[in-house]
Amino acid sequence: MLNELILSLSDLAAMLFPFDCMGPEFMRRAMLGLLLIAPLAALSGVQVVNSRMSFFSDAIGHSAFAGVALGLICSLPVEFTMPGLALVIGVLIMYLRRGSRLSTDTVIGIIFSAVVAFGLAIVSRNREASRGVNMFLYGDILTIGDNEIALLAVLLVAFLAFQFFAWNRMLHISVNEQIAGVHRIKVSMYQYLFAALLSLVVILCVRAVGVLLVTAVLIVPAATARNFARNSRQLFFLSLVFSYVSCAGGLLISAQPWANLPAGAAIVLLACAMFAVSFVAARLRSK
Amino acid sequence: MTIPAETAAAPADAVRFEHVGLTLGENRILDDVCAHVPRGKFTAIVGPNGAGKTTLTLAILGQIKHTGKVLFPGLDQAGRKPRFGFVPQRLVFDRDIPMTVMDYLLSGLQRMPLFLGHSKRHVERIMRYLDEVECTRLADHAFGALSGGEIQRVLLAQALLQEPDILILDEPTSGVDFKGGQICCELLRRVREKRGFTQIMISHDLATVTAHADHVICLNHRVFGEGEPRVALTHQVLSETFGLHLGLPDLHGIPQDVRECPENCPLRNEHLHLHDHCHIDGAQACSCGHDHAHDHAHDHGTTEVGHAE
Repeated sequence: MLNELILSLSDLAAMLFPFDCMGPEFMRRAMLGLLLIAPLAALSGVQVVNSRMSFFSDAIGHSAFAGVALGLICSLPVEFTMPGLALVIGVLIMYLRRGSRLSTDTVIGIIFSAVVAFGLAIVSRNREASRGVNMFLYGDILTIGDNEIALLAVLLVAFLAFQFFAWNRMLHISVNEQIAGVHRIKVSMYQYLFAALLSLVVILCVRAVGVLLVTAVLIVPAATARNFARNSRQLFFLSLVFSYVSCAGGLLISAQPWANLPAGAAIVLLACAMFAVSFVAARLRSK
Repeated sequence: MTIPAETAAAPADAVRFEHVGLTLGENRILDDVCAHVPRGKFTAIVGPNGAGKTTLTLAILGQIKHTGKVLFPGLDQAGRKPRFGFVPQRLVFDRDIPMTVMDYLLSGLQRMPLFLGHSKRHVERIMRYLDEVECTRLADHAFGALSGGEIQRVLLAQALLQEPDILILDEPTSGVDFKGGQICCELLRRVREKRGFTQIMISHDLATVTAHADHVICLNHRVFGEGEPRVALTHQVLSETFGLHLGLPDLHGIPQDVRECPENCPLRNEHLHLHDHCHIDGAQACSCGHDHAHDHAHDHGTTEVGHAE
């Protein structure tokens, strides 16, 4: 049932991109996965950039190792332990950040190292698992499974609902938390909800582009959109456009015989190239 | 000059501090603070840096744990929490976030996400408030490109949009030139008289406080004096509050309010720039025909001081 639905949706995704390379089923499924990832990455990226949380998303990405380790120890499937652990760590960082006088990067730095060390300690003792770790370092969208696509779709619905409800207030909070709080905005609720959703977005994107590149997939389209947008509405739509172009374009380029690149690398290279152009354009415009 | 909490129990108070205390580590930030804030008036909190002024406003806002009580007479009985408007000292924010002034003001009010557009009802309401702070022309400007003074006005409009019972301003004129500070106080007086909120402003500018505030609280961890500025700001209170003897303005030689200074008074400009003239001797320097010093000798401590004919 799920399999058939995803099959027909991935055929639909392939029809949007009538290229030779879209023939094999794994390419169609990868495209479907990326079309779900693009809006998640773009919109959370906007708020990551506004709230200066890229180190936060980096730490969540690195918790993938610990997620794998936890799965090994508890004999649970990593599809569950990775998002579960990411969620716990995301909320924990937010809690420590809000409740203690330690600076944000200190809190994140400590948790970051703890989860990476824990993951390496467990995984290095297990030969099979250390092969799996490679997959999370570089990501592999071409082997994305039905469950993961379904999870992405559910997350996308929840995330879009959050954006409808919270886009304005998140902007308000990112300018000044104190003013927002005094003016009766529930700052902590928005921050915890965002931390939880962002953790899930990051850990699912790790599957596509890998731990090393996950933050780039989030922030580069948002940063590119900032160079062109003049208001909040343009920022929203331009970040979506840049994210879709880099995700779909990156996958297509990666499959060309002349390129023959890993999809994650192609996606991030394309996104960064667009950023470079936008940066120069913004500089020229401001002169 | 401290008014004991018991006698300050008039219902005319908007806020009453009863033995408010706060210790952070070894430091006693607030020490048995008892004071009151009259309703519908402009109360200034003055004191040196690190005196606990901002902490005291956080206690009003309920954003910090403390001992003692902060009461809101009238509202407490009605079981309602006061609505606050807040303008911080200096807004430090990411000036590269793409948003217009209207985007920012809407982001705190509008439910419909901004990417779907602006609600006409909210835009009209915001424009009315921007008009009150004389900033309608800024509505479509990039928020990050505004000057310090313009940002303060936009933040003031935003605080007023909350329709506050109590408006709290944390040294709003510190980043603004003196003329900007004067205009700001005048503008606040107009809006306050129209809307009837209570205004609490932290200030280090004694000249502005003397010219504009109705009530002043001198704070340096504890309260050294409070009351009507001309009465409360004695040399003794000020030297106790600020810890040294200052070259203070001779408050009694200055008209109570520059508005009371006649157009033809040659010292009018000086009155507008009290900063630069800390020892104006009205009797000698002002030739507007009125003997300020003499006036004062007789009317010391009353509010009827100045250029009354």
